[in-house]
Amino acid sequence: MPARSHAPAPVRILTAVPLCDGHDSAVTTINLELARHGIEVIYLGYHQPVSAIVRAAVQEDVNVVGLSSYNGGHIVFFKEVVDQLRQRGGGDIPVFGGGGGTITAADERVMKRQGTDRIFFAGTPLTEIMATIKRDYARRPKPGGRFTGDRALARAITLAEGGARPPGGRRKPARGAGSGHRGFVLGVAGPGGAGKSTLIDELVSRFLRRCPGGRIAILANDPSHPDSGGAILGDRVSAIYAQDDRVFFRSLATRGSLTGLSAAAPAAIEILRQAGEFDLVLVESVGVGQESDPFRTFGRGPHLVDATLFVVPPHYGGRIQLQKIALLAGADFVALNKCDHPMAHTARAEIQARLDQDGKGRRLHATTAARHFDPGVDALFDTLAQRAGLVPSTGGDKACWMEVTP
Amino acid sequence: MSQLGRIADAVDTYNAHVTDEVARARTDARFAAELRERWARIQESIDWTVSPTGTPLPRLALPQTDDPGVIAGYLLGQGLPGEFPYANAGYREMYLDRDSGAGEEPMRLFAGLGLAEDTNKRFHYLSAHQKSLRLSTAFDGPTLYGLDSDHEGVLGKVGEGGVAIDTVEDMSRLFAGFDLTRKDASVSMTMNAPAPVILAMFIAAAKRRFGPDCVSQLRGTIQADMLKEVQAQNEVIFPIEPSLRFLCDMIEWCVPNLPRWYPVSISGYHIAEAGATPVQQAAFTLSNGFTYVGLLKQRGADVNQFGPRLSFFLDCGLDVEYLVLGRVARRIWAIGMRDVFGAGAKAQLLKLHTQTSGRSLIAAEFQNNLTRTAVELMLAYLNYTNSCHSNSADEPFTTPTEKYATLASHGQSIILEESGVFKHMMNMFGGAPGLLVLEQQVEKAILDVFREMDTLGGVLAAQEQRYQRSKIQEAGHAYEEQVYGGARPIIGLNRYKTGEPLPSVPLARTPPRKQRLQVERLRAFKRKHAKQAPAALQRLENVVRGGGNVFAELVSTVEVCSLGQITACLTGIVGKFRPMV
Repeated sequence: MPARSHAPAPVRILTAVPLCDGHDSAVTTINLELARHGIEVIYLGYHQPVSAIVRAAVQEDVNVVGLSSYNGGHIVFFKEVVDQLRQRGGGDIPVFGGGGGTITAADERVMKRQGTDRIFFAGTPLTEIMATIKRDYARRPKPGGRFTGDRALARAITLAEGGARPPGGRRKPARGAGSGHRGFVLGVAGPGGAGKSTLIDELVSRFLRRCPGGRIAILANDPSHPDSGGAILGDRVSAIYAQDDRVFFRSLATRGSLTGLSAAAPAAIEILRQAGEFDLVLVESVGVGQESDPFRTFGRGPHLVDATLFVVPPHYGGRIQLQKIALLAGADFVALNKCDHPMAHTARAEIQARLDQDGKGRRLHATTAARHFDPGVDALFDTLAQRAGLVPSTGGDKACWMEVTP
Repeated sequence: MSQLGRIADAVDTYNAHVTDEVARARTDARFAAELRERWARIQESIDWTVSPTGTPLPRLALPQTDDPGVIAGYLLGQGLPGEFPYANAGYREMYLDRDSGAGEEPMRLFAGLGLAEDTNKRFHYLSAHQKSLRLSTAFDGPTLYGLDSDHEGVLGKVGEGGVAIDTVEDMSRLFAGFDLTRKDASVSMTMNAPAPVILAMFIAAAKRRFGPDCVSQLRGTIQADMLKEVQAQNEVIFPIEPSLRFLCDMIEWCVPNLPRWYPVSISGYHIAEAGATPVQQAAFTLSNGFTYVGLLKQRGADVNQFGPRLSFFLDCGLDVEYLVLGRVARRIWAIGMRDVFGAGAKAQLLKLHTQTSGRSLIAAEFQNNLTRTAVELMLAYLNYTNSCHSNSADEPFTTPTEKYATLASHGQSIILEESGVFKHMMNMFGGAPGLLVLEQQVEKAILDVFREMDTLGGVLAAQEQRYQRSKIQEAGHAYEEQVYGGARPIIGLNRYKTGEPLPSVPLARTPPRKQRLQVERLRAFKRKHAKQAPAALQRLENVVRGGGNVFAELVSTVEVCSLGQITACLTGIVGKFRPMV
């Protein structure tokens, strides 16, 4: 159950900076302020194309999209965002913007006519921006909205997250549901700074390259601020390969849950399984220490995910520490990431020795996810793909993956 | 200890040496006599001049003393203008005799709008007011990110905020009518991730017009500072490692082939604009510079060859630390280069370009920006910057219009030519009590940042841990809070408002028909070279994979390939940059 089941669920905002624009100091200030005001901010980053903004808005099922534009071209860009939102099932999501002095009052008139909801001009105090956002964009959507595709999935997850919105947009059984195509769910955990997000994104790039027909889903859990209830969900910033229609990416704030996952994670996983369209679902926990395995302490036993991957960085603090890490004992797969680190050589030997103690025959994967085209990530992906029952075909089939019946 | 820790130690060691020498000057009679004799010789060597109102003045002002301790402290701790450790100035007579045409002309005027011919026209307009040819180019968003004007979703951005350059033909149009081989011609380009491609286009365009031998005469600067992009400005295309390789390839090629070119401008400007304090700006900029030096040395390059081709670019705002930021930066650079990298005299001098602060300018009651920029210019000249750019007052809401660009340029002339402050005497203020105190405090704070990064493993390791980014963001938030909370007075914004409505200055925008014209030109270029392009890209790929000098190959590639084609090719080989929050 969400910690504050009686409080209204937080407003979710997507923020981004448009294509060919790297001015992110205003948006990072706004992000911080929004989170302080109890809002969940899904930050997409700078230099973002319209398609990525729209895809993220739909998949994250946000209340509103805020764009910070300083490099000109805003009239064309904002219109394109509004138009594509309408085309892709997000026509009900309003778009606001700001751009210091680069967006004039005359521009604003044109932009409003073309569907942009509001422009914050230079000199608008942060307090006024916050008050306006909370007043105008916290509204619940009209009941009975019917959604399709990714937006319907996203809305189902929103409902599972704790009733920010009344039931009404519930999803019909998805295409392929009941066909037995339930997808393989992999839980990914590890301490903060281990490089989980980067490793996941590199796995996504391999999936996309080697499975032209498939779809992959990611549930990225990030902590909520304990006092404000807000959160900055920034995993999308560095997820460069997840910007693809074949990837469904959803950020979940923990909203008071202390297990490393949102309380809605089990329901969200089930929704993605039921959707019947994902070959692989990756669930990223928040950074966890040595004390627990987020995928097992959750009450539903080991069935929450089909397998777990534990990502460990080379600087874990020595051999004694290794004995205490619960995930090393429980995880199906273990990857030592950041193998370009000077301590990696020792770490590799120590962790392999620790795995050997259990006699399960687990082999440590050595990866350097930050390096592009890392062969260690290739090998990890192959292992995971085999375990997932998805095996690369050797022939020239249309789909390069086929399911193997256990 | 990382290289950075050694540099911090070297500065401390040098300071201790100065203290020891001051003490020795006061106790060792022979040393004291030597110093007095040298002091007398220096004073004798100073020429005299007369102000327009008849006051005789020495061309160099020195502390009025014959105390050997004070003399030692000045000569070693500060240095005469043009002498190690260069706190007072990089050259002996920088701003003197500005009317006679001698000396370094410090003005740079930034321009870039629309298509190449529009910017070309602006260049001709601006340079008509200048003695020498100084062309400083701003590029539009798609060009800065290495994208072609026909890339999906960029059309509205074409020619906005800077000039659109897709091909070598655009580059030819950009500089049409200018003799780039003139001795006093200098071109600067604010261009980073695609800098090797853009500079290659510039070289190719120059060769087309002036023949193959012109290359060694080309003079100018390209920014190409990838570390500050990763830390602050966010225009990054390739992962860090290949980004640095492409940069180092370009620097190594330019040192012998473009001997008058500065192939990197190590920049704090964008670090400051993104929120950094003055101390952070200097600390991150200098440490980035030392990182490039370390990388180039690792590749086997000679510090005395490439060292003099490095240049720096700092922001100058209104905070008190800006009174000395350039002075302190020159001093730390000189000591680090000499004592850690073994650089000779020419490679010890930090050559500084300064731009007045864009962040300090606001839209509300914007004519106050003229005063802000004038004060910042004074601060920049007090630091004896080698060159300077002054922002237009209308910059908070548009690409500078001609009126305000001209006023900005004239502001520089009023200070350097019309006023007598810098005209007759060097070292007007060096050694003043306030400056000395500030220099010590700022230097100490910079070294503290060096040591903090050192504990994280050096610049690149700190960068991977987001150290610089989070420091810059924190400082930016603090600044915003000061502004909105009123703790930082901004006239016309949070105090003394006159209620003047927001300006309605005519905006420089690129009309859609021009944007479409650019796309048509690009497509024609691609059609014309459709046969040669694949082979040229294949040759480029072979060089990238084979470990050769990528820049040397790019100079040929750009003859038949567009910026976007080359970016896509390189991304396919080395991957894409993964952004940081």
